[in-house]
Amino acid sequence: MSKFKKEGKKNAPGINTSSLPDIVFMLLFFFMVATTTKDADPTVSVTSPEGVRATDMTPYKQRSEIDFMYLGKPRNAARAAEFNYGFALFLDNVAQPDPGDLYSTNYIRQWKKDKFNSKPPSMTKPIESVITCVKADKEAPSGIIFDIRKELQEIDALTIAYAVRDKSNI
Amino acid sequence: MAKKEIPEINAGSMADIAFLLLIFFLVTTTMDKDTAYIRSIPKKVIVKTPPVDVEKRNICAILANSKNQLMVRGEIMNNPDDISEKVIEWYTKNEITNDVTNNFPMYSRISMKEIDEKIADFTAVAEEFEATPNASADMIDFKWKQVQEWENKKKALKLLGKSVLPELHFQAHVRIEVQKETAYELFAKIQSELEEAIYTLRDKASNEIFGESYGVIKKRYDANEGDKSKQVQAREDKEKLDLLKILYPDRFIEVTPKK
Repeated sequence: MSKFKKEGKKNAPGINTSSLPDIVFMLLFFFMVATTTKDADPTVSVTSPEGVRATDMTPYKQRSEIDFMYLGKPRNAARAAEFNYGFALFLDNVAQPDPGDLYSTNYIRQWKKDKFNSKPPSMTKPIESVITCVKADKEAPSGIIFDIRKELQEIDALTIAYAVRDKSNI
Repeated sequence: MAKKEIPEINAGSMADIAFLLLIFFLVTTTMDKDTAYIRSIPKKVIVKTPPVDVEKRNICAILANSKNQLMVRGEIMNNPDDISEKVIEWYTKNEITNDVTNNFPMYSRISMKEIDEKIADFTAVAEEFEATPNASADMIDFKWKQVQEWENKKKALKLLGKSVLPELHFQAHVRIEVQKETAYELFAKIQSELEEAIYTLRDKASNEIFGESYGVIKKRYDANEGDKSKQVQAREDKEKLDLLKILYPDRFIEVTPKK
């Protein structure tokens, strides 16, 4: 009589996968929390130029102290001819009263004010220090940038940011 | 009848559902960081004042025309990467000793005693203004701001730990003049080069005075700024950054193109 059972053919026990969903959910939540969403997809195509030592905009975004505008060639190529130099301006996520205003600098003041008024009450900064970030295409003429600056100056929104793709290794 | 056991729900496909969600978020997310150069726009002036004469040596003009050609201080430049070196030269040429014969901005070197005198002077003026009936609030504010400016310099000199505080001429500035058709790429490149120049200068000074990099101090300050438990560290870093700013001020002017 042997005390030990002879090892017979035994199936390997199945691995318990009941905690797999927990792990995956954890991953999922990480990505959901770590992600900031874009307000709207711009209807102009923008290829940013490169630069070094640029400031990271993420902290300003988290405090909603920043508004974005896009300056590029319209994705709808047929419309390009309607604009000066073929470049159009897209203001971020706003109900436009008139489709014509969508792509012109005339609407900037109204847009910026609307954006400012809809900020959460936790945002106590005055309009002078709420950043307006211009994401312009490489080939966009600087003249339009200065037109934007002028419009912002009119309503005392005195902080502007020129977007670039940072290529320095921080 | 015997109690029927409730059958267990098979949760095997739960993982699949979660994976599906995860993959959806992964695909729809773009991870690129938004980075930009923050600049301030000058306030609109209603009262027109005649332009102030500025000595040529105090201007570092960077011009770019509609054909994207560059000129820095009257010299045509083929490689935009060299702008930062030019700007650094403009900043530091007279830093050690003033040379009246060259075309670079002068430095003033002010001692603690002089700063104290200035503070006393400006405080007296401000107090006098406050006592005057019908003095405009803006004016009083402005006078007190001047006092504050000298107080800041005093703090900076104390931190620097030298006998005098070297300071770039108050009119010295970098001007960016572009034309309407200048590509944004070049405009951004000029901004990038300026930022690089300022960073290099401040970093060098920071390493000499505090023995740590400008980038490190700045990053730590940004991280600690809102944190109440790290106020002391934040205040210390703020003073360091202020000193570096006084030593190498970032006075950039962007000129609105006319044509």
